[in-house]
Amino acid sequence: MVEKTVIVRPELCVGCMQCMIRCAEAHSESKSLFAAVGEEILAKPRIHIGVGPEQKPFPNKCRHCEPAPCQEACMPGAIRSDIFTGLKVVDQARCIHCGMCSMACPYYVIRYYHDAKAPGGRSIAIKCDGCFERQEAGLVPACVLACKTGALTFEDVNAVQKQGTDRLAWAAYGVVRS
Amino acid sequence: MTKKNFQEFTIRPEVERLLEKAFDEGIETVWDRKRAQEPHCGFCELGLSCHICVMGPCRIDPFGDGPQRGVCGADADVMVARNFGRMIAAGSASHSDHGRDLVETLAAIGKGETGDYGIRDEAKLKRVAEELGIKTAGLDVAGQARALAELLGDDFSCRKKELAFIARAPQKRRDLWNKLGVTPRGIDREVVEMMHRTHMGVDNEAVSLLLHAARVSLSDGWGGSMIATELSDIIFGTPSPKKSQINMAVLKADQINILVHGHNPIVSEMIAWAVREPDMIAQAKAAGAAGINLAGLCCTGNEILMRQGVPMAGNHLMTELAIVTGAVEAIVVDYQCIMPSLVQIASCYHTKIVTTSPKAHFAGATHIEFDIHNARQKAKEVVRMAIAAYGSRNPDRVEIPGKPVELMSGFSNEAVLAALGGSLTPLIEAITSGKIRGAVGVVGCNNPKVKHDSGHVGLTRELIKRDILVLDTGCAAAAHGMSGLKMPEAADLAGPGLSAVCKALGIPPVLHVGSCVDNTRIVHLCSLLANTLGVDISDLPVAAAAMEWYSEKAAAIGLYAVASGIFTVLGVVPPILGSKTVTGLAVKGLEDVFGATFAVEPDPLKAADLIDARIRTKRVALGLTP
Repeated sequence: MVEKTVIVRPELCVGCMQCMIRCAEAHSESKSLFAAVGEEILAKPRIHIGVGPEQKPFPNKCRHCEPAPCQEACMPGAIRSDIFTGLKVVDQARCIHCGMCSMACPYYVIRYYHDAKAPGGRSIAIKCDGCFERQEAGLVPACVLACKTGALTFEDVNAVQKQGTDRLAWAAYGVVRS
Repeated sequence: MTKKNFQEFTIRPEVERLLEKAFDEGIETVWDRKRAQEPHCGFCELGLSCHICVMGPCRIDPFGDGPQRGVCGADADVMVARNFGRMIAAGSASHSDHGRDLVETLAAIGKGETGDYGIRDEAKLKRVAEELGIKTAGLDVAGQARALAELLGDDFSCRKKELAFIARAPQKRRDLWNKLGVTPRGIDREVVEMMHRTHMGVDNEAVSLLLHAARVSLSDGWGGSMIATELSDIIFGTPSPKKSQINMAVLKADQINILVHGHNPIVSEMIAWAVREPDMIAQAKAAGAAGINLAGLCCTGNEILMRQGVPMAGNHLMTELAIVTGAVEAIVVDYQCIMPSLVQIASCYHTKIVTTSPKAHFAGATHIEFDIHNARQKAKEVVRMAIAAYGSRNPDRVEIPGKPVELMSGFSNEAVLAALGGSLTPLIEAITSGKIRGAVGVVGCNNPKVKHDSGHVGLTRELIKRDILVLDTGCAAAAHGMSGLKMPEAADLAGPGLSAVCKALGIPPVLHVGSCVDNTRIVHLCSLLANTLGVDISDLPVAAAAMEWYSEKAAAIGLYAVASGIFTVLGVVPPILGSKTVTGLAVKGLEDVFGATFAVEPDPLKAADLIDARIRTKRVALGLTP
């Protein structure tokens, strides 16, 4: 079973932020944009566009590291590996908003918001969960579906590397191939 | 492209079959392009993106985390209202420009500047001229035409306090518009003012923008569109009941098939004339065809169906598929609702796309420009081009699925009054007795977001069951026609009251009122009823529904209906949900402003319930049975 992951090609990003709005929609109660914007506790995106030199946009999301610094730092054990293979998912019931995970994360992908799935709607760590519910339903992650330029794709990372290897082979022989 | 279950896309088996043919031939359709666009931009769907200035473009985050204001400081309410205002301006401008072309044609007729156009309904010319205060005694037909063209031309200026046809609305409605400051003053003026107000840093309050949007829409509904309808009747004849046919199978494999598409009868009536000319028919036969077969698409198809009984091939989502039949020599277009993809698809066949309007060029099409001096000559040129193209038709690629469906058309208000014996009394009695509980305009476009024709047909079947008379226009009328609802026999599908009235008069329960500018016949009829009963339009047991709308024009029609007091159901969500203020006004607050609101309800049965509830409320308030 090929394990796919979200591949980010920042050079293709145009900063439209569709990934952000569809990510938030996918994590809302109603999972439909028109209803989601009216929910009491508004969902939040787990992917963010950073702004770089000359306003170049950079899509930034959780890499689901292994071992994950956030998971190792999490004292209540709220960041779990057992919800979906290969993904580090925040358990909304266990997170105590201590902030250790975001301090440990080298990529700044963890933020804190009130969440409808947290008990009492309290504020907890919000980070990419790999859209595991969508994956279970046979769908690609919401950010990937939204991206029109191919900056976000859902692929087997080793297959991506194989393509890169072949591009390198062509370049090594002095022929540029895209 | 991946093969899909085409049954999901349409209720029409012929359309399914043509979608299969298009797929097999590798032809991209509107449904393919929609799929490639999905998911659409969430910001734009909510009305929360703005490209009005280059301090932006901006977006507002509806999930509360990102920016809550554009660079200029506009919040969600302002952003949504400005975008909506421009939609209404664009839609109204389109209808009104169509009306303007008819004013100019009438003026040319009056000045003797055109041999191609004349007055077919002199009685209506006189009647409308007198209605608007022109003293016709001593004026011949040309003089009346000049005077009416001058008066209505003034509607397009900024010299008036109110448009000419506003006088048709009930006094209560006019007083309300005056009180709100939304009485339309000038057709071009209101559109220009909306473009001004929506510039950065002008109107920055949602309610103010929306009131002006209402005014813009009224300048369309009681202005540009109404002028288009009345002058088209005067120049081309007032429609009277007639039978014709509809569906793709009106195309004939043994004839030269010409389709007209677009809007203004200024072009389609000329083509209708040209195809009947003996020398053209002779040329067609010399080319090996049995004759020349003219059929219509969309609004201009509605126009020549209502007046000339010319059959219709289909509605908006069928325009590409008409080419895919392989049997069409030429599609002649003027303006509005013509998909640029027709050029690409035509290039896969022998079909010629002919553009006729200086305002509507299509890259890759053949441009044969019509004006008041050359219209008939150009029409013949177009027909000759189609005859020449016939030789390139590949008979192996021809497939015309399905069968033509009979329908009745031609129900102008004049025709309705004539059918009722010259007065509205029989209709009013039918309404007061409850035989006809109310009337609904089921109107508007197709949209690939809605299963083709399912919204219109689903709603109308339910309404007529509940003894509610349906008046239709545009693509909705075509949908009803293809589903067999526009023949007198369809009275069997209606409730007992409506059925009895239809059978007594020999009319269907779904009356064809015309093209989309002819929605003004419906507001005019509402006005006549309201005036007879001494009430306002918002007191009548009426409603409107646009279950599959797509265009800015439709948004303008919906708004002028609501601003005139008619409850209007939309089957597709408008891009306003990003603002709670605007949404709240649209579906609730406007009741206190105009006595009517919008509702958004894609499910046809639930839409029927909403309309039924409105009709019930209004009937009870008038002291009638629910």
